[in-house]
Amino acid sequence: MNRVRQNSLFSRRHFLRAAGGAAVALPLLSSLRAAAEGENFPKRLVLMYTPNGVIPDAWWPQNVTGETSWDLNTIHKGLAPFKDRLLFLNGVDLVVTNEGPGGLHQKGIGGLFTGQQLQDGDLFVDGCGQRAGWANGISIDQEIAKTLAVGTPIKSLELGVRATENDVQGRIAYAGPGAPLPPMNDPSEVFQRLFSGFGQNTDQLAELRARRKSVLDTVQAQFKSVSGRVSSSDRQKLDAHLALVRDLETRLAVTGNGSSACVAPAVPPALDQTSEDDMPTIGGLHLDMLATAFACDLTRIASFQISTSLNHIRYPWLSSLGEGHALSHMGPSDSDAHSQLVTRQTWHSQLLANFLTRLSQIPEGSGSVLDNTLVLWGNEVSEGNTHSHQSIPFLMAGGGWHFRTGRALKYTNAPHNNLLVSVLNAMGVPATTFGQANLCDGPLSGLV
Amino acid sequence: MRTVLRLLAKAWVVPLAAACSSASPTPTPGTTTPPPTEEPADGLVCKADQHPVAPLSLLTRTQYDATISDLLGDNSQPSQAFPAENEVSGYNNNTEVHIANPLLVEQFMGAAEGIAGRAIAANLNTLAPCSGTSAAEQTSCGAAFVTSFGKRAFRRPLAADEAVAFNTLFSGLNATRGYSAAIELTLQAILQSPQFLYRMDSERAPTPETGAVALDSYQLASRLSYFLTNSMPDPQLFAAADANALASTAEIETQARRLLETPRAKATVRDFNQQWLQLDGLSGLARNPPESTSDVKGIGTDYRESLLQFLDQAFWQHGDLRSLLLSPVKFVNRRLAFVLGEVAPESGFVSVTDSPGSVGLLSQPGLMAMLAHSDQSGPVQRGVFVRQRLLCLDVPSPPPNFNPIPPDPDPNLTTRERFAVHTESPGCNVCHKLIDGTGFGFEAYDQLGRYRTQENGLPIDTSGEMLSTGDATVDGPYDGVLELSNRLAVSPRVERCLATNWYRYAMGRVENEADGCSLREVQQKFSASGGQFKELLVAVTLTDAFRYRPAISGDQ
Repeated sequence: MNRVRQNSLFSRRHFLRAAGGAAVALPLLSSLRAAAEGENFPKRLVLMYTPNGVIPDAWWPQNVTGETSWDLNTIHKGLAPFKDRLLFLNGVDLVVTNEGPGGLHQKGIGGLFTGQQLQDGDLFVDGCGQRAGWANGISIDQEIAKTLAVGTPIKSLELGVRATENDVQGRIAYAGPGAPLPPMNDPSEVFQRLFSGFGQNTDQLAELRARRKSVLDTVQAQFKSVSGRVSSSDRQKLDAHLALVRDLETRLAVTGNGSSACVAPAVPPALDQTSEDDMPTIGGLHLDMLATAFACDLTRIASFQISTSLNHIRYPWLSSLGEGHALSHMGPSDSDAHSQLVTRQTWHSQLLANFLTRLSQIPEGSGSVLDNTLVLWGNEVSEGNTHSHQSIPFLMAGGGWHFRTGRALKYTNAPHNNLLVSVLNAMGVPATTFGQANLCDGPLSGLV
Repeated sequence: MRTVLRLLAKAWVVPLAAACSSASPTPTPGTTTPPPTEEPADGLVCKADQHPVAPLSLLTRTQYDATISDLLGDNSQPSQAFPAENEVSGYNNNTEVHIANPLLVEQFMGAAEGIAGRAIAANLNTLAPCSGTSAAEQTSCGAAFVTSFGKRAFRRPLAADEAVAFNTLFSGLNATRGYSAAIELTLQAILQSPQFLYRMDSERAPTPETGAVALDSYQLASRLSYFLTNSMPDPQLFAAADANALASTAEIETQARRLLETPRAKATVRDFNQQWLQLDGLSGLARNPPESTSDVKGIGTDYRESLLQFLDQAFWQHGDLRSLLLSPVKFVNRRLAFVLGEVAPESGFVSVTDSPGSVGLLSQPGLMAMLAHSDQSGPVQRGVFVRQRLLCLDVPSPPPNFNPIPPDPDPNLTTRERFAVHTESPGCNVCHKLIDGTGFGFEAYDQLGRYRTQENGLPIDTSGEMLSTGDATVDGPYDGVLELSNRLAVSPRVERCLATNWYRYAMGRVENEADGCSLREVQQKFSASGGQFKELLVAVTLTDAFRYRPAISGDQ
């Protein structure tokens, strides 16, 4: 099939393309960063989602004798080098799912990062007849992007590994009520978007910006003109589209920044985003490119989801041939299913560990990008077989500038909206509530 | 043996447990009176004073690529990098959820730049010819381009203010960057403008109107072309619109029948079939390799093509619903022939007629393989499929927060016993009687769509039962897919349901009460034609819903 390559939207003038296609950084450009050293490096946020609950006995810390006295459980052995940067948050519930329409997986994934119920409606019907619309509000990543992502070429990066269900059960990030953001599942497209334009010189970039500005100015005028000639519901759609064009034009005007570690990766191989077999490669490539995007300050906000709730995916590369959701429903007496699920969840955790390793290898000031990154990892249910929304497996990594990390904390029925407030605060947003406000009484206690 | 049984039992029980989790305790099947069969499948009634809306609709990736191909001869499928559309009920052209998002808007820009660059490099002299070199001459050439190309891109003549805007853009660029670049960037702007990216059937009428407003001939031309060809109007449709020759139903019918004979109509029927039957489920299909087959990686693509060829034949050669459900044909390539035990063709796909178990749509290997688990058939999936996609029966909504926790599976029970544990538990059984009763009759088809009469040395039991379908021709016990298909082939409810699905696809939305008159008209015409597919599609184009929109507040 013919694949047409588009121009990358964003370019960095401090790159030279090496013969093999990989880009190399110009030495002098690390000085861009040097000037800012010792001070406020940009903070970054990653929301991570894995589906269908976990095996609690293998997931939560063991031998806990105090907040800072505990051992990583089986699933998280790969996180050992980062133990002092972790925060396990036991007893935080998706209270927001207690009410409102939708099936339990739908409500869970919709509310996880929005803190909102689903909208009423008949758009989406789950396995046995539960009906609902999209989540009824913005997700924390997008709320944080309003302030944190000003001045980056890309507002936020949504990445998925076989996240190909294009309805409420497949979306974690929302720009607003009923406005989900689709993830990119193909590393080639991610590469194209982030890195393909590296290597253009200053004059070329200035010309490209000027051309785009004249085109987009005219486009915006057309939106305004047409908007006055349609019904009010249509006008809302056009106005929302216009706002996105305007934001795009603003971001195109951004000139580059980035550390000496901002080196475009190799072009990813062609992969099948619907194939189970390609999942590990895709997951690894996505997170490697995300780390580089952080180093280049292309974006500061991302979400990363491994498939979707209620999926039927096998993990053949781990010899786990059960189907995701069905497997998660096998009861505790099924030792084979138990073992498959632990293996899968260990792989999820290892992806995070690999990502943290990458971030820790990117120098920033006297430390690394990891010092300025926070990852929040969650799930739409706590256990697959019970669909429980109590004690969701929440794990944070990083965020050491705000949180006292290296701890395993235990709460009792704490609303997760409070956790979302804590994340907002960590990222510099002075909120006291988020999502459904009546479920919030401020940030989660004891974190800072 | 013990291990085998245990694995089978596990795969068997899990989906039931899963579906169970949201099963409904109400209504109790058998206690409700089925609605009379005359009632439309959707339960809507005709209210003549209601006019369904015609919402703004954003081009899908399929439509974008076809439109660019027809507009500029660019067959590069530039939408491949666009994010997938959100979907409702399987359809990706739903105007409520297929809306702009930041990634898509970025990709619209990237695509427009690529398309414009290629167009200028290949075709500047045909796209925007200009022999003059003075600014005045070039301005005139630019204006001619804006008028002619703009009309094709916006699918209607440009309004005066629109022409001024693009001419202004062109002139400024022509002065600073030269003619070629000015055309290229003007083209980029056109391709990112809402008049290109959206179909705007609801643009305000120039004269004050109330109630139902007739779409103008350009809007109708776009409706016809996007419904039947997923692309912009072709030259004949533009000519008809220019001559205002789409005002009568006879003129519309003539165009609709003409468009149905074009190659793009073939692609449209495939697009519909993939969404109606939700064939996304075949993407990345993963089935544990059977004992006789070593390689099934990527086989979902083969199954999809096999199924689409069957559907093509049913639509274009046989032409009616009865053939779709009963034609004893399947299509195989080398790999499928090997999996299914048929004689392998040298290359491509060939049809195989009258193999054992070959009974129309419901026996298709691709469908049966999709509606299954990786290591086991899928009676629940098959039951849900028949009820939802063929009979338009929604599973009843359970009460809020219904969450029974299924008992821990007992490895000492047989498959049937495990199954019974779940379907006999209160709450679960209500849905599962409906679903599993429907799906059990498909047990003669395994997870690779292979026909079988035995499983593990035991004879296959293909008895099932249709319950509470609201159609007396369908309800009752049945044995095997042949008997079920024979019933569905004469079911008024199946007929109405397929009409409803085409209507949703045509309108880009789920029907509402204002659609009662139009939808009923389509259902009745489809039925009167004896279930002829082309008559169904033509009928859609002749409805009021297709030809009118409600007045917009502010129509002037």
